[in-house]
Amino acid sequence: MGTPSEDDLKSQKRAEKVRRILLLAFGGLLALMIVAGVAALHSLRQLDGIEQQINERYSAHSQALTTILISVHVYHDQMERYLLSGENSEPSIGAADVQESGESVRNALKSYPVDTEPEEQALLSEIQQKFTEQENSFALLLRPSAGVNSQERQRFVGEQMMLRHAYILQVSQEVSSLNNKKLTGAKQSLAASFRMVQTRLVSTVLLSLLAGLLLSLSGGFYILRLERQGRARYQELVASRQELESLSARLVDAQEEERRSISRELHDEVGQTLGALLVDLGQLSKLVPADDNLLREKIARIKSAAETAVKSIRDLALLLRPPMLDDLGLVPALEWQAREISRRGEMEVDVHSEMVSEQLADDVMVCLYRLVQEALTNAARHSGAKHAKVSIVQNEGTIRVQIADDGIGFSPERVRGMGILGMEERVKRLGGSLTIESEPGKGTTVFAKIPVEHSKPV
Amino acid sequence: MLADDHKLMRSGLRVLLEQQPDLTVMGEASDGREAVALVASQRPDVLVMDIGMPSLNGIEAAAQITQSNPEAAIVMLSMHSDESYVLRALKAGAKGYLLKDSAEADLIRAVRAVAEGKSFFSPAVSKVLLDDYVRKLKRSGTEDPYDLLTPREREVLQLVAEGKSNKEVAQLLNLSVYTVETHRSNIMEKLNLHGVPELILYAVRKGIIS
Repeated sequence: MGTPSEDDLKSQKRAEKVRRILLLAFGGLLALMIVAGVAALHSLRQLDGIEQQINERYSAHSQALTTILISVHVYHDQMERYLLSGENSEPSIGAADVQESGESVRNALKSYPVDTEPEEQALLSEIQQKFTEQENSFALLLRPSAGVNSQERQRFVGEQMMLRHAYILQVSQEVSSLNNKKLTGAKQSLAASFRMVQTRLVSTVLLSLLAGLLLSLSGGFYILRLERQGRARYQELVASRQELESLSARLVDAQEEERRSISRELHDEVGQTLGALLVDLGQLSKLVPADDNLLREKIARIKSAAETAVKSIRDLALLLRPPMLDDLGLVPALEWQAREISRRGEMEVDVHSEMVSEQLADDVMVCLYRLVQEALTNAARHSGAKHAKVSIVQNEGTIRVQIADDGIGFSPERVRGMGILGMEERVKRLGGSLTIESEPGKGTTVFAKIPVEHSKPV
Repeated sequence: MLADDHKLMRSGLRVLLEQQPDLTVMGEASDGREAVALVASQRPDVLVMDIGMPSLNGIEAAAQITQSNPEAAIVMLSMHSDESYVLRALKAGAKGYLLKDSAEADLIRAVRAVAEGKSFFSPAVSKVLLDDYVRKLKRSGTEDPYDLLTPREREVLQLVAEGKSNKEVAQLLNLSVYTVETHRSNIMEKLNLHGVPELILYAVRKGIIS
């Protein structure tokens, strides 16, 4: 067993450490999951924002481009109508109108979103340039000093204006396709980043799962180990309790053996020697002349001293180990004990027995004898009982003993003296049971039940 | 013959006995088994035997001896004056019961009494038995059933307790054997006794015999 306190301290420390590690691990796992969730949410929201931005930008650009295109169309249409209306008919559109729509084209160009890329910018400025050329040409045509006739105008419109218009349209087409391309690119990069987010999310989820699995595995192992340890410790406890029980049983045996040997020693050696001494003294006193009173008196004194010694040694030997148990068996020994107590005037004890075998095992006899002795001693000493009744009955492999007194009683739940513990120990050792019924003022009854084997009732 | 597991005690007893010119110690046994064997082979007139002996105690040995020879004269030697011992010794067939304390004073008387077929009990034993008996009577508040016996029954009681057979009693009292038997069963019933040993014990108690 070593030093239990040190071991305990160590294991306590280890348990503390493991608890902390488990707490940390679980906390870490939880934090990881929360962080992963939050990050994923954030990324998704970001992606959503980017997508919205892309869409907004695209629609703004295409709308601006549409505005430019429409205004260019309007301008061109007006200019064409103006130029082709001829001198004979009153033109439905004045030059001022044309200029006005030119203005709206410029405005449209100007209001094109500023975040344009160089490529787009270049295309736009090309449009701007072509349009400026167009306007300049138109301004040239409008000049009264130009003196151009309708054929020339028609040619001009047909050659230059149409060309430029077509060019502008073409460039616008390019801008539009550029925009489209940009949208596609942005969408693609968005999808890529979405995939990235997805990958990240999946990997964090996998990581969390893995960590969780690891954690639960190690936790499971730890619990298993704890359980194993607990079981081992329980077994240790059971073993040590058994050891303790067998130890106390051995103690009872040893005590009984010791008593027996001391008793025998006293009885056989000292007692017999004194007995022989008494016999010799008797002989001696016969040899003394009748008139030698001094010697007679001396011998008588020695004799009386020897008799006293014999008596006290006998009493002591009887108390330690009544030879009745060996010579006569249990019931006569109990009867002897009862009469002995009655003789001393402590209280009156009756013994009633039924079917008790004369060949009981020695340990059973000793146990029951000591049990009755203890109960009667308690009754005589502490309870002030006047009467006690011992009943001992054997049937079907069981001996039941009951010792009842009419004393003051006590609370068996509260009072547990060494005597009672000793009784319990003895009875339990033989596989029996002991109960004590008592209440203050109601006397005490001790019940004991002990299994017996290989003994025929007589 | 002597049987005691203590040499010292045996030698003391031997000295006491051999002081008497008409008594000789035929042999000594140191335990019950030896005593049984010796008695069977040497057939002594009287056996003086200690109760507490190893291997086979005196009571068991006495029981074995009287089983094969009911007339065997056995004086039990004991340190105990208790009823349990006396009764057990009587049941085992012992005729005399001698306390070791008083062995020196009473041994010769006991041996002679038993040899004549009478019983003998140390005076101290009678006293203890009587005291116990009186106390028990007082406690239970009953009258001594001895008063219930008729004078004739008392006579029969004494003679039976002294070890006489029914026939002997009948001859002594000039009665028929059948009448003696009736008296005996009446005595047993009145005194609540079971068997001759208890009857002898009762007689010792009452000081009817010693």
